[in-house]
Order: sequence, then structure tokens, then C-alpha cells
Amino acid sequence: MFRASARGAGVARHLLLIVAVVLMLLPLAYALGTSFKPVSTLYDLNPVPLPGTLENYDLALTRFEIGRLLLNTLLMAAGVTVTTMLVALPAAYALVLFERARGRSLMVVVVGAALLIPPGALIIPQFLMTSWLGWQGNPVGLIIPQLGTSALAVLLLRDHIRSVPPSLIGAAVLEGATPWDILRQVVLGLLRPALGAVAILLFINTWNEYLWPLLVMPSVEDTTIQPGLALFAAPENPQYGPLLAAAMLASLPVLVMYVLASRRIADAFIHSGLR
Amino acid sequence: MTSTDLAEVQLPGTEREPQEPETGVLFEGVTKRYAGNDRLSLDLDRLSLPGGSLTVLVGPSGCGKTTALRIVSGLETPTDGRLFIDGADVIDTPPGRRGVSMVFQDFALYPHLTVEKNISFGLRLQARHDRRSGLDDAEIERRVAQVCGSLGLAALRKRRPAQLSGGERQRVGLARAIVRRPTVLLLDEPLSALDAQLRQRARAELVGLHRELGNTIVLVTHDQLEAMSMATHLVVMNHSKVLQAGSPTEVYRRPVDTFVATFLGSPPMNLSTVGVPAADRLAGPDLEARLPRPVPGLPSEVQLGWRPGDATPVRHDADPRTGLFADGVVELVEFTGDTMVAQCTSASGRWAVVVPANGNAPAVGESLRVHVPAARLHLFDPVTGSRLEAADAGSAHE
Repeated sequence: MFRASARGAGVARHLLLIVAVVLMLLPLAYALGTSFKPVSTLYDLNPVPLPGTLENYDLALTRFEIGRLLLNTLLMAAGVTVTTMLVALPAAYALVLFERARGRSLMVVVVGAALLIPPGALIIPQFLMTSWLGWQGNPVGLIIPQLGTSALAVLLLRDHIRSVPPSLIGAAVLEGATPWDILRQVVLGLLRPALGAVAILLFINTWNEYLWPLLVMPSVEDTTIQPGLALFAAPENPQYGPLLAAAMLASLPVLVMYVLASRRIADAFIHSGLR
Repeated sequence: MTSTDLAEVQLPGTEREPQEPETGVLFEGVTKRYAGNDRLSLDLDRLSLPGGSLTVLVGPSGCGKTTALRIVSGLETPTDGRLFIDGADVIDTPPGRRGVSMVFQDFALYPHLTVEKNISFGLRLQARHDRRSGLDDAEIERRVAQVCGSLGLAALRKRRPAQLSGGERQRVGLARAIVRRPTVLLLDEPLSALDAQLRQRARAELVGLHRELGNTIVLVTHDQLEAMSMATHLVVMNHSKVLQAGSPTEVYRRPVDTFVATFLGSPPMNLSTVGVPAADRLAGPDLEARLPRPVPGLPSEVQLGWRPGDATPVRHDADPRTGLFADGVVELVEFTGDTMVAQCTSASGRWAVVVPANGNAPAVGESLRVHVPAARLHLFDPVTGSRLEAADAGSAHE
């Protein structure tokens, strides 16, 4: 009796999950199908692109020059990831040292509170600041303000650093290591998997950034892929075929990266206690 | 006159005490109070760990022994007091410059580094920090090879800690600690992570290593057997304080109080409260002791202690002139190999006696009479539990 009802609950849960997955994948599947359709059948309701064509992809690459947009995006995502890690790792390490020396630290609460600020609320002040600094249309202005979202990285890394046994750090201290030595030679070595996961997470998030690049880099030539796609969808003559083909190409790098690293990313969250 | 010179000028009456001992570790008025804790976690009036000794700090968990060790290492800062290593005040010396190294309870090996990188970690750091006094690569390699050779790690140099057994990890931890040639080597329960058989061997290896290095070793353990078998100097601690320090035989034979008496030795010392009907007689139910000489100034009641190994079963009509006779009924006999331990009940409480395993084994339910020579009796104050020294003076003349 009990077993049967447990199985029933399991089936129900899986059904629910399947429905959710289908609902999430449907638009994606529709976009994927449409991106292979010729102009003549573009507005059919039939999502299966038969006979299919690569014409849209050709247009995306030649007329939209999606290659350059992807390169811009790559540079931005890599830049934000590297700079965020450079800030977040020492910050997280310092937080742990403070906590170990003085007990639970107010700093952790402050960093946590930064997570609660909706990114949209920061857009106007950040936009004004980049204007004052003359960073409009400048890659620096594209990258540096996005460090404002590094709180998540700090907290994730802090949880990983906290799991480093105190005796390991004590042993290094006794061998004459400075805090900087310990960060570089002990913590960094132990945290390599976690660092990879957090970096990939940051990379994917930044890759998908839309609003900030649109504000700082509004010209079609210099912007990144997400606003680029929107700019191509010119309202007077939307070319949905090439647009969807470009969107597919834009999500490909992230998809590949996620497939390669999905287990690491899940691990990074599981081990951090921030689920 | 520079400010350093000024500091050297001594005011009358503030002359420095002669700093003895010249070598080893000296605690002076060292206390430690952790935040949010009313009680002192460590309260050492004065404790000297002789240079070149293998000093073992032993006591139940929470007695402050590990805190004392960590204060020597510098990982912990005392709330108050001074600490000397080989005569130099090191309170303000950072941990890495005290000439102290430590083997941690969990060995604290860096999991991402190979055995040889673990061992050379400190030397390489030192070489990078200070190019003049640091060692060059060839010298580091020579030292690592030497220590690996002497600890049997030569074949494991390229392995990582995860690929090692518990005993091998312990030796790597030890190798990492001694490759820096510390003046004081600290060991925090270094054997507790090993299984029983390995522990026996590791104990012998540590003693051998101490003989070889000749430096001061301070070891912390809660295992009294380990403590007594390894120590050249034994420090028994309880409730943040040192109860007794001395050679293991001295501490074992003349425990200062009932805690030390029962903490050291297995099975522990038998204790019972007895009356003092005359200055040379002690009596309790099923117990009767005659001292060789009257002991002046005994209270009307004392705690009488005797070690299970000092008692021998005797015939019921045996009647030596002095010493203790105890009667009891055998309740349980434990076979331990060479000997057996008979646990007995009597009207004045339970007591144990060690008997040879190859002799006549006492049977459960049998009544047993044992005799303890007067020189092996310990008398303690019934209220404070501290040793009654007058009694020693008396029994020494047997």
C-alpha cells in the first residue's frame, strides 16, 4: 500500500517535471525549426522545416556579420569573468580569515545583501557613472561596471574556502607562509574545481547580458550578441529566418560550455551549501 | 643612547630572573581565555619543558594540552604571560620564525601537492622569501631525499596524499616537520589516526627519531599508556592546569593527587576511604593496613590508594608484619595476555588486582585476599585528594 502510493507520487512528480521541461523547450524547438525554413514557408504553423535550408545561416553570417558580434561577446564575457575572479577570490579569502579570527562577520551579511539588490536598480547610477568617466562606447565601461554583480561569486568561493581544513592553513602559517602565499599555494590549489565552476557560471551569465551592452555600446558594429540580435530585428522589416539562425548560433557556445561543465557547476552549488 | 639601550637599563629591583632553563620551552604565567568563555582554557603558572626532552602533555580532552601546544607554535596567542624557547622570549615572534614545526592530528597534508612537494613546501617558501638565507634547489633536494630516506618514503615521493595509507601520511607529516630542522617539534595526537598495530610501531619510530634528532619534542595525547611509554618528561594536565610534571616513573610512583593517581595506569589505582584508628594503622571494611612507623598528623580519615599490579594474592592466614590486606570477592576476571585482572567487590568498594596468567587463576565468586607492601601504599587527603607527603616519609623507612 505504502509502496504503491510512494510510486504514485514518484510518477506524478516525474510527469510534472516532464511537462515543465516540454514547456521550456517548446519555444526553443520552434525557433530551431524555423531557423531552417526558407522564407516561403516561414509563417507556416508547421514547425518541422521540411524541406530545410541553410540560407538563413548564410545570411546571418554574411549580412548580420554575427562573427564579429560573437567575438565582442567573447571578449566581454572573458573580461568580466577574469576581473570578477580577480576580485572575488581575494575578497572571499579575506572574509573567511576575518570570520575565523573574529567569529561571524558583518561583512558576510553586507555581501549577501548585495545579492538582494535587483540589477535593474543599479542600471541608472552605473550608466551615469560610466558617462562621467567617459567610458561610454569603451570596452572598459562594458566590463568594469559588471563587477557589481560579483557578490554571488564571492559567496560561492567563501563557502568553498571555508571547507579548507584550518589545520592546512595552520601548517602553512607554521612554515612561514604569508596570507598571500597561502592564498596562492594552498587555497588556489585546493579550489581549482570550484574556481572553474564559478568562472563558467560567470561566463554564461555575462554572455547572456543584454541591457548593459545595449546602453554602453549601442552601435551595431561594436555591440555584443544579445543587443545585436535585437538591433537586427528592425521593426519595419523583421527578417525572422536569419534572426533565429543568429540566435541559434549565439546560444551554441554557451550550450557547449554548459554540456562540458554541467556536473562541475552542479557540484559547485551543492558543495557550497547555497542551493 | 638609542631607545633599545634605554630598554636595557634596569631599574633597581627589576633585574631579570636568571633565565633557566637555557634550552627547551618555558611558560611563565601563560593563560588563555577564549572569547565568550568565562573559564580560562589554559592557566600555566610556570611550566618548563626541558631542552632535548621528549615531553608528553597528557590529560583528558578539554584539559588545555592542545591549547598549550598551539601557544608554543604561535598559532594561538596567549591572553597573558610569557613564552621562552631556548631562552628567547618568542611571544611576539611570528609562528614561521620560531624554529618550531608541528605535526597535526589530521597530518594536514596539502592534497594537491605530491609527497615531495609537501615536504619541501616550507623550504621552498623560505628560499623565495629570503634569497640569501634560503636554501638553493640542490640543497632542498638533498634534504628532502635525506628525510625521505630515513622515514622510508623514497618510493612514495611522487604520490599524492590521497594515494597513501594512514601510516604513510603520518610519516609524510613528520618528514615535513623535521625537514626544516626545528628546535622544537610539536606533535598533536600524531598517533590517534592510526590503527592499533601501526600505533605501536609508530610509537617506537618516534622515540627512535627523538634519539636521532636530539631536539626538543612536545607531544600531546590523551592516551596515558602512550604518554608513559614515550615520555622522558611527563606533564599531566586537568582543568586547564598542570597537576604534575616529572619523569614518567616519578609521576607514576608518586602521583600528587587522586586524579593523577587514577589517570595514569591501567587498570587504574584502587582507592578507598579508610579510617585512621592509630598513627600506624589504617582500617576500613575488608581493609586493614599497618604502617612500618607511626605517621604523625594524619587526619582521622584518608584515601588509601594502591596499584592493582602492586598487590599479590595471599593465603587467608598469611600475616606479614606491615602492609595492606584487602579482602574481596572476585566478580570478573579479564584475560589480557601475560596477566589477568581480577575485579573484586568488597565492603569498602571495588578493587582490582593483577595476577599472572600462568598461575592459579582466581575463579569468579571466590573470595580473595591480597597483600600490598607498605612502601607501595599511597595516602591522599580525603577532601582535597592531594598526596599526604608525611605518609611517604613514614613508609620510606620500611
